[in-house]
Amino acid sequence: MTHTRLVLANLGRNKLRTAFTGGAITLAVLLVCILLTMPAAMDRLLEDIASDVRISVHNKAGLVYSMPGSFTRKVRNIDGVAAAVGMVWYGGAYEDGGKVTFPNFAIESEHVGAVYPDYPIEKEELADFVRYRDGAIVGAQTMDKYGWKIGDRVTLKSTIWPVDLDFRIVGRIDNPQSPHFWFSRTYLDEAMKAKLGQAAGFVGTIWVRAADPSRVNSIMLAVEEMSRNSDAEAVAETEKSFFQNFFGSLEGFIRIILLVTGLVTLCIIFIAANTASMNVRERSGEIAVLKAIGFARRFIFGSLLGEVVVLSTVAGAVGVGLALGFAGLLQSLAGGDGSLGPLGGFIITAPVLVQGLFLSLFIGMLAGVVPSFGAARKPVALALHEIF
Amino acid sequence: MADGSNALIDVRNVSRHYVRNVDEVHALDDVSLEVPAACFVALMGPSGSGKSTLLNLISGIDRPSEGEVIVAGQPLSTLDEDELATWRARHVGLIFQFFNLIPVLSARENVALPLLLTDLDKAERRRRAETALRVVGLEERFDHFPRTLSGGEQQRVAIARAIVTDPDLIVADEPTGDLDARNAEAILDLLRALKNEFGKTIVMVTHDSRALRYVDEAHHLDKGVLLTGEEAERAAAALLAAAGAHPMPPARSDGSS
Ligand SMILES: Nc1ncnc2c1ncn2[C@@H]1O[C@H](COP(=O)(O)OP(=O)(O)O)[C@@H](O)[C@H]1O
Ligand SMILES: [Mg+2]
Repeated sequence: MTHTRLVLANLGRNKLRTAFTGGAITLAVLLVCILLTMPAAMDRLLEDIASDVRISVHNKAGLVYSMPGSFTRKVRNIDGVAAAVGMVWYGGAYEDGGKVTFPNFAIESEHVGAVYPDYPIEKEELADFVRYRDGAIVGAQTMDKYGWKIGDRVTLKSTIWPVDLDFRIVGRIDNPQSPHFWFSRTYLDEAMKAKLGQAAGFVGTIWVRAADPSRVNSIMLAVEEMSRNSDAEAVAETEKSFFQNFFGSLEGFIRIILLVTGLVTLCIIFIAANTASMNVRERSGEIAVLKAIGFARRFIFGSLLGEVVVLSTVAGAVGVGLALGFAGLLQSLAGGDGSLGPLGGFIITAPVLVQGLFLSLFIGMLAGVVPSFGAARKPVALALHEIF
Repeated sequence: MADGSNALIDVRNVSRHYVRNVDEVHALDDVSLEVPAACFVALMGPSGSGKSTLLNLISGIDRPSEGEVIVAGQPLSTLDEDELATWRARHVGLIFQFFNLIPVLSARENVALPLLLTDLDKAERRRRAETALRVVGLEERFDHFPRTLSGGEQQRVAIARAIVTDPDLIVADEPTGDLDARNAEAILDLLRALKNEFGKTIVMVTHDSRALRYVDEAHHLDKGVLLTGEEAERAAAALLAAAGAHPMPPARSDGSS
């Protein structure tokens, strides 16, 4: 007979209730671990797809507005800029029905290699892209979706330009998450001249590669300074923040996650506290007798609280284990084919594990403290009078 | 102590009032009582007469509103809450009407429970628990859980738990109240044996007239007052008459006619 034996025996008293409460805590900790991992996973995703040295420049009014074509050259001349490439949205539809199913841009093909040296594109394919005026470079996602191969010819019908263009696929961006379809700006301009007598003189987005990360801020300032008071005021963003806009405000997202996490925790504390007070009430006779035969208040308090804390910590550890298993499963599913996209980057970090364990400890403490204290504090004579 | 009495328990002009909402309940009113060592005493009286209240004061479970309780030379009023708990653990064995054993612990573990408050090692705690269970005649039941024991057996486990620390004083609040006649007599027998063979002082609350055949002294309470002289004799006679009229009265009999 030991203190530990007493606490453990009490946990086994109502096995179903212990299992339900433990299960609720396990699920809550699992959920919280997953929620806490979400922002980190997204951050990692951004790290993956976005470079430190690329900057996007677009019209301050929004991504759909354009800037004068001459702007690209000016940006290229800013101190610290290694390369810049202008692109414009073509809005071409491949499928019948005129729906745009992948992003396609007319781009200054001769600058692509300099701005995207990190992209997995074969050197010869890049050279072909520059050489053939109707050449297109396509991301693996779109290539695989339509079963295209290098050398294939495809036609895109533009939803915004008055010209439909035929392309020869000359290269592949070998990243399973890349949907892009790029073709030469010259090809678009020539088609427009043939059709309307003149080419469009504007550019949609300019992507800039800084010579090194320390130059990024000064380049962004210079771009905005340069465009101020012109009729197309421009903003510059790093590639990371550019993508963050697609995800919505990451900060707001994190705040919501924290809020949900807090509510889940609170909810589970109430559930566990309810169990604890039910236990205390059912055992009031025994507790009164224990006190009468000389167990001090701190012993009663300690063993009741210990019971809840042991339960919640064990349940929390199981939850953390499940979260690890879940992340491992996602990764092995995502392994190689990338069809799970960002989910493959779902990695439960050590801090999240520690937080999960701490959380379960915290749940146990908070849930147990009030009922245990109440039971411990009640005068013995009163407790005996109430039960006999 | 100062007056040189050799009483183990010295209750001096004790009152206990409970404040309930605005009313004051006088559970005990100016009660004085001495119990010699190695004596088996019954506290008798109708329900609500203050028997449990007096027993709680004697065993240091409750404190008097007025007066003083001295047990084995120790004035209980000088002890704070935790000291009082420690004092009870060392010097008092408690038995209740409802056995309140811990259902998830075996008989041996239930009995060993009070020894957690000592610094005996695990093996010694186990040995003493088994000895106590032998004393109450449960040597065959060490590993049984409460729900597999009869009411009488459960009360024996509770008695073993009360004597496992070898206290000088045993207090029992209606220990036979929840038992049938045969088991009740067996428990009374056991308590008497504890006094005779181990020199324990026992104070037992009961309204079972059969107890009169087992105890050395009976004190009668009525409405919080300890009856003395003629009143006490009349109460005792009434109880005995009832016991005579019904040789085996039911345990819950009030003994009045
Ligand atoms: N803790 C308490 N709080 C309030 N009233 C109490 C308490 N304990 C006992 N009483 C009251 O004191 C009186 C005597 O009670 P008690 O000593 O339990 O009587 P008995 O044991 O003789 O039946 C009763 O009126 C009872 O309701
Ligand atoms: Mg009573």
